[in-house]
Amino acid sequence: MSKSQLEDILPLSPLQQGLFFHALYGSGHDVYTAQIVFDLRGPLDVDALRAAAATLLRRHANLRAGFRQRKEGSPVQVVHREVRLPWEDADLSGLPEAERDARARELAEAERARPFDMARPPLLRFLLIRLADGLHRMVFTNHHILLDGWSTPVLQTELFALYLAKGDDTGMPRVAPYKNYLAWLAKQDRAAAEDAWRSALDGLDGPTLVAPGAPEPNTQEPGRVRIRLTEDLTAALSARARAEGVTLNTVLQLGWGVLLGRLTGATDVVFGAAVSGRPPELPGVEQMIGLFINTLPIRVRVHPGDTVAAALARLQDEQAALMQYHHLGLSDVQRLAGSGPLFDTMTVLENYPFDPDAAGADLGGLTLHNVDGHDATHYPLTLAAVPGGRGLSLRLDFRTDLYVEDEAQRLMRRFVRILESVAYSPGLPLGRIDVLEDDERDLVLRAWQGPDTPRRPGTLTGRFAEQLARTPDAEAVVASGETLTYAELDERANRLAHRLIGLGVRRETHVAVLLERSAASVVASLAVLKAGGAYAPIHHAYPPERTAWAIDEVAAPVLLVDTAMRGRVARLGTSAHVIVVDDDPETAAQPATAPDVPCHPEQLACVLFTSGSTGVPKGVMLRHRDAVSLATDGELRGGAHDRVLFHSPHAFDAHIYEFWTPLLHGGATVVAPPGHLTGEAVEDLVRAHGVTGLFLTTTLFNLVADERPAAFAGLREVLTGGESGSTAAVRRVLAACPDTEVGNVYGPTEATTYTTIDRQRARLTADPGETSALLGHPMDDRRTYVLDPGLRPVPPGVVGEAYIAGPGVGRGYLRRASLTGERFVPDPFGPPGSRMYRTGDLVRHRPGGALEYVDRADQQVKVRGFRIELGEIEAALTAHPDVANAAVVARQDAPGVKTIVAYVIAPCTGGLKEFLAERLPEYMVPAAFVRLDTFPVGPNGKLDRRALPAPDYAGTAAGRDPATPEEEALCGIVAGVLGLDRVGADVSFFDLGGDSIAALKLVTRARQAGIELTPRDVFTHQTVEALLRAGEPEDRLGFEVLLPIRTTGTRPPVFFVHPAGGLAWSYLQFQRHLGPDQPIYGLQGSAFTRADLPGSVEEMARDYIEQIRTVRPSGPYHLVGWSLGGLIAYEMAVRLQEAGERVGLLGLIDAYHTQDLEAEKREILPELLESIGIDARMVAADGNPDMAQIMAVLAERDDALATLREDDLVNVYRNYENGLHQAERYRPGRYRGDVVFFTALRGRTADSPTGPSNWGPLVEGRIEDYPLDVEHHFLLEPGPAAEMGAVLAARLDKLHVND
Amino acid sequence: MPMTNPFEDPDGTYVVLVNDEGQHSLWPSFAEVPGGWTVAKAEDTRQACLDYIEENWTDMRPKSLIEAMGE
Repeated sequence: MSKSQLEDILPLSPLQQGLFFHALYGSGHDVYTAQIVFDLRGPLDVDALRAAAATLLRRHANLRAGFRQRKEGSPVQVVHREVRLPWEDADLSGLPEAERDARARELAEAERARPFDMARPPLLRFLLIRLADGLHRMVFTNHHILLDGWSTPVLQTELFALYLAKGDDTGMPRVAPYKNYLAWLAKQDRAAAEDAWRSALDGLDGPTLVAPGAPEPNTQEPGRVRIRLTEDLTAALSARARAEGVTLNTVLQLGWGVLLGRLTGATDVVFGAAVSGRPPELPGVEQMIGLFINTLPIRVRVHPGDTVAAALARLQDEQAALMQYHHLGLSDVQRLAGSGPLFDTMTVLENYPFDPDAAGADLGGLTLHNVDGHDATHYPLTLAAVPGGRGLSLRLDFRTDLYVEDEAQRLMRRFVRILESVAYSPGLPLGRIDVLEDDERDLVLRAWQGPDTPRRPGTLTGRFAEQLARTPDAEAVVASGETLTYAELDERANRLAHRLIGLGVRRETHVAVLLERSAASVVASLAVLKAGGAYAPIHHAYPPERTAWAIDEVAAPVLLVDTAMRGRVARLGTSAHVIVVDDDPETAAQPATAPDVPCHPEQLACVLFTSGSTGVPKGVMLRHRDAVSLATDGELRGGAHDRVLFHSPHAFDAHIYEFWTPLLHGGATVVAPPGHLTGEAVEDLVRAHGVTGLFLTTTLFNLVADERPAAFAGLREVLTGGESGSTAAVRRVLAACPDTEVGNVYGPTEATTYTTIDRQRARLTADPGETSALLGHPMDDRRTYVLDPGLRPVPPGVVGEAYIAGPGVGRGYLRRASLTGERFVPDPFGPPGSRMYRTGDLVRHRPGGALEYVDRADQQVKVRGFRIELGEIEAALTAHPDVANAAVVARQDAPGVKTIVAYVIAPCTGGLKEFLAERLPEYMVPAAFVRLDTFPVGPNGKLDRRALPAPDYAGTAAGRDPATPEEEALCGIVAGVLGLDRVGADVSFFDLGGDSIAALKLVTRARQAGIELTPRDVFTHQTVEALLRAGEPEDRLGFEVLLPIRTTGTRPPVFFVHPAGGLAWSYLQFQRHLGPDQPIYGLQGSAFTRADLPGSVEEMARDYIEQIRTVRPSGPYHLVGWSLGGLIAYEMAVRLQEAGERVGLLGLIDAYHTQDLEAEKREILPELLESIGIDARMVAADGNPDMAQIMAVLAERDDALATLREDDLVNVYRNYENGLHQAERYRPGRYRGDVVFFTALRGRTADSPTGPSNWGPLVEGRIEDYPLDVEHHFLLEPGPAAEMGAVLAARLDKLHVND
Repeated sequence: MPMTNPFEDPDGTYVVLVNDEGQHSLWPSFAEVPGGWTVAKAEDTRQACLDYIEENWTDMRPKSLIEAMGE
């Protein structure tokens, strides 16, 4: 550019900067091209108009500006002294009249589509189209950076004034140049402006978006709907504004804010508003042509409790305080708010409509007619209000890729309804403004609700008695090994009921129940009900402390257990009377007839515990009528749910469906055998017992769908739910099982199991693109409302919170009156005095009425089907003395892998996992703990959960790199299952966050990749390295003499020596109790790997020392052993000392030497079963144990024993028999050092030795005796093992420090 | 997604409603009182209303059941 061409170099206003950068870095098409189109009727002097346009360019320097970046990057506008007038003529008068307008529009559109080169002024173009004689169309196209909508009428007025003067401006007033505004800008106090905006947006809880995730706007023209308000309403709005001392703009903005609140559910909303941006103190500013207009966030609090008048006053005050800071650019304001885009809707009050009559002079017979204007809006919704005439005109522009016209029309009607409320009801709380139309209200409150049925409230006992009378000999409970008819079930329940009554159980008494899954669960539940009571099942994953707490909480006078669970409650110290249901002679002596106890439908049937956010679980109280309502629901009738699989934990509400749905209709509940349910097991059960229906949590359903989709083929229907379902998994099952329906069910425990159901086959078949597993429609007599923060139904499609009413909504929370009063609240839409349950689930209605899950309103999460309040975990963590603060989140860092991660402000995370494991059920213990110095906070000062870092498994994941192609493949699969980038070949699957479900996934995926593994392999081998060796058939991994439990860690390892049965698997759990730096090995009997058995304790000790020296060539050695293992450990310690080695820890777990074990007379099998933690009486009641039964009991266990095979059991037997003889013969020598001793207090006799009495004479050191309130055989159950683990961990820590 | 529940507003004012069964509930004071419910405790803070419920709703059985059980 030559010097002479350059007139001025100016900075850019903040708004211009924003547009300039958008043009430079935008997505290719510039949406900031604006256009004004108007028709000119009458005789037109084209030359005069062209001259006027040229003069206009000459007068206004800023219209001649081009935009560039300086070398250092700052943008400037370069004003050229002269620019060519970009003027084109087109003549369409030769076209047939019908085509002219369309062609003219095409030309205009082409103008808009043609981009401007920002550096080459002018950034505007004139196109004059001759349509006919005396009819021209002016198309004025410009880049928005030059001028704004407010400038348009100024420009038009000036253009036609110049037209009259044929382009001569000598008589016209001097232009107030745009550079004056730039100078004014430079003088403003930027810091003050920033402070004002920062405080205006302080505490805002995120952006307000009506179309979150919408694609980038395209150049598509917005759709438009218009309405003109009545004169009455217009006048009333103006009167309201005057009465409240606010502007009309404030009135409209409050209305828009209320509408946004209803569309998003937020009570603190933001939208953009166009402000003129013309500072009143700047002389001539109203006549300037240029870019002043700004879009700034308007924040409106629409608290449902605030009145219209109060909300207007607040908004007006807030906006007035910001008035002088309208010059700050939007991007700067958003940066101050610490966020990206704050809004995606805006409002414009067009105070400057071009009035052709006001253009002043006579245009010589020429008249102007606005055709169109295109300004640069690209928001999903823009509301424009145009005062004028007698009624206010409203225009709603909408992105046509996001809305259709009908929706926009409805939005406009809603807006008008809101304006009516604002105009006429200043005292109305905002929450009571109604935006719903009558047809919508009918849909959401009536048509889309569950069908009304004539069912009457009933009792479970009453309905069961009726069914018993109809089908006394039909099968009622089918379990492996036994089948009960209705009459048999009734009789057993009656006897137990009489027994309970004898122990003081009355109507409404709670009876705690802790049973293994068996027919007894059904018998016990029915018996409690027959006695008038309510059963309160305790989850078997509860640690002892929590179990004791739950029994206290329900104030149960009686606790029902079975022989399998007896060991768990033995040490609880509960005051409840414990009945072992399968070993209680007094029950058997009771009458078989039904006790005479009246029952009322309002009486409690059960109390079910769920996680509670305040730190302790809460007991949901469900009534007889609730359970009856579910069991008799028409959706579950028709045969598909006549033979239902019982496999859910008794403590879960799913058991209500699994028990009572079949039992009230002459069907049977089929008890799944113990153990994790796999696809294979489902298939077997369906085939063997004719199961017709079952429920699986989403997690388990997806797993089976992956692994064995045809497993459901024999079922009429499989129900699934609990978490967001996967339509891909459902489709797989539907395809593999052509005669099986899949029902997606939804409902919280508080509303009795299932509230809504969605049948998947028809819907997914009809729409192959459907990817949402919907919640569906309410079931019989049920109501599900979707309400906004004002407790009004939201319009269809809008997200609201789900409230459930109708039968099934239980009594409340046990002993939590205020919590009940918060969640079980009056139902404004139901019968007088009725209640609804507030779920905390955010949902919306799909077209057609099906409910769709969106999110949670609070911190409740579902992991592996378990409902968990993260607040409860946080409360448990902060109870630890070292934890200053804790945040717990459920992360999904990889698809389908949800893990709980705890973040703590604490000196270290060591011991936290163990601490929680003692207080929370296993499924609530976080998979990872992350130590932070501070928590990340958002701009509003609150914890920003999304900013919490993903846990770094790298430390543990490191390990060694895979060394073979097989290792590489399996490492990849493990990484995929756990959602990690990589895993080492020698790192434990469980240390990396794996759990039992993930283990099943691993097996499935490995199998798909051609690597055969069993779940047992994963439990016992854990690392990729070991898993691959497990595949080698000749190897007996898991049974090797030296069992690696944890090979990583820098400390000297601990060696745990097996008891008489020969297996060291029960020591696997010490991984949880001993720190991550502590390597652990087990020593196991050689019967599993060798043909000949060792002859003596001494021989084993010698052999095992050889083994441990392979991993630990020299001391110190830490040795622990239970029972026979204690003797072996002692002998090893003696021998090591004799060899000059140091022994650190010697732990003896209830081990005594020189005892007469009466080996010849003992019943060996039952005892060896007990030695591995199984109560033999339940499997060998008649003295003839059945191998299949033993295997089933083993399979039920949630640990490695679940995977034992029959031939392994035979080996356990051989070891045990041999070990008893060896123990009797063993004569120990002297040991120099301390001994840690654990004594089992239960089952002792007066003659039983004690640790000190038995070992004292041989040991030159202290014997610390830790008594445990448990029988010898139960010492390695999780509870006592945890206690021992804590003692051992402390002792090892001490030894480590002293080293 | 930010979603404010009218029962969870720490700064809001509430009433306690009770129905014929003696069941108590928190209720935001801005909302109309639904049919079949009466105001047991006039407008107050959330905590005060919860305390009132805790103190006054000591038997959570509905009245109809208490009567049916002959107490």
